[in-house]
Amino acid sequence: MRLSRALLTVPAAALILALPAVAYADESVQVQLQDLNETGATGTATLTATSGGDLKVMVRSKGMTPNSPHAQHVHGAANGMDFHCPDKSADANGNGYVSTEEGLKMYGDIFISLTTTGDTTKASGLAVDRMPKADAKGNLSYERTIPAADLPKGTVEHLKDLHLVQHGIDANKNGTYDMEALGESTFAKSVGVNGIPAEATDPATCGMVSGAAAGSVPAGGVATGDGSTSGGSPMMMYTVGGIALLGAAGAVVARRRLAVER
Amino acid sequence: MASSPPVRVSIPSLRATAAIVALGLQADGAMQVPDSAADVGWFTKAPTPGALGPAVLAGHVNWKGRRGTFFDLGKLSVGAGITVNRQDGSTAMFTVSKVEQYPKDHFPTDEVYGATDHAALRLITCGGQFDDTTQHYRDNVIVYARLAHAHAA
Ligand SMILES: [Cu+2]
Repeated sequence: MRLSRALLTVPAAALILALPAVAYADESVQVQLQDLNETGATGTATLTATSGGDLKVMVRSKGMTPNSPHAQHVHGAANGMDFHCPDKSADANGNGYVSTEEGLKMYGDIFISLTTTGDTTKASGLAVDRMPKADAKGNLSYERTIPAADLPKGTVEHLKDLHLVQHGIDANKNGTYDMEALGESTFAKSVGVNGIPAEATDPATCGMVSGAAAGSVPAGGVATGDGSTSGGSPMMMYTVGGIALLGAAGAVVARRRLAVER
Repeated sequence: MASSPPVRVSIPSLRATAAIVALGLQADGAMQVPDSAADVGWFTKAPTPGALGPAVLAGHVNWKGRRGTFFDLGKLSVGAGITVNRQDGSTAMFTVSKVEQYPKDHFPTDEVYGATDHAALRLITCGGQFDDTTQHYRDNVIVYARLAHAHAA
């Protein structure tokens, strides 16, 4: 009875698709932003590759220099280079701070500039007028979807090799970026911008990809069966929300019964 | 491992092996399913097997009068091996960490699709009672596994 009715049912849900030629999936990666240069700042970021090839970026950090802009970038490369977040040992000149130039050897060049509007290329790396600002409490919140056309080649394929760096520290704790603290930014100077304090460009946080999840989550369960044969998938233990309903003894009985049915 | 789509899945302890087809979402937001008892589907909106994050494969317990590749999935024991061959020629070998059965209306969405800090694999099929009214099984059987070995191409 059950068998025949199931056989008559049209499997409307079924579909066969060709495997995608592209070597990546629609997925979301998690980045834990760790404090650099003893800023005490921390945060999380999520980079989601959408099926259209766009990249949705979400950043939440705290302990940032309040009321100040924070240049932030995706660093690294899409050529398989193995970059990492730097530790104290990257402080080559021994001034006690890992500068952007010192860090670049470890975390790679600017790959994407996480500006609030407009251009997102390396050219906007120091466009502080278009960088997110921390609020009075030092919290920074950023969200932007960067269209596929604006992403460097290989971004989505190498999402898990990239990392995120937020810049801007207040070394002398006077509430602003100033020359007195650490002098002029030689990094800014090297790209042709004079008069930028090193405090504005020194990294505050850095985070590497620490986890990944599905990019889109299906609704509910999965219709992987039409009842057209008897038996199947007997369980050792029946659980609901992780709680066992049947004890081991009950499960054995249930299994035996299923085995007999077949 | 770097990302690469799966082409075949094998579960030696169940003597099960199947080619992989791609699965997306249906109009109602549910996951698509393969249109054959033999094929196993890879959900393309999640990581590829072997790469960081949860890769999701779904296969039928039965379909159109035939036993599906995942007919015995619920019998899989903790520690059992699952092998996934990938498009780039590499092989990802997983070890089962747990097998659970959930009513479909209590599907553990976060646990299956949520972030993991390792390369994870989830195998999904149907289980429990078949509901004659809805023409669906009431439950899903879910196998959770993690990457144990990676073999380069
Ligand atoms: Cu940067």
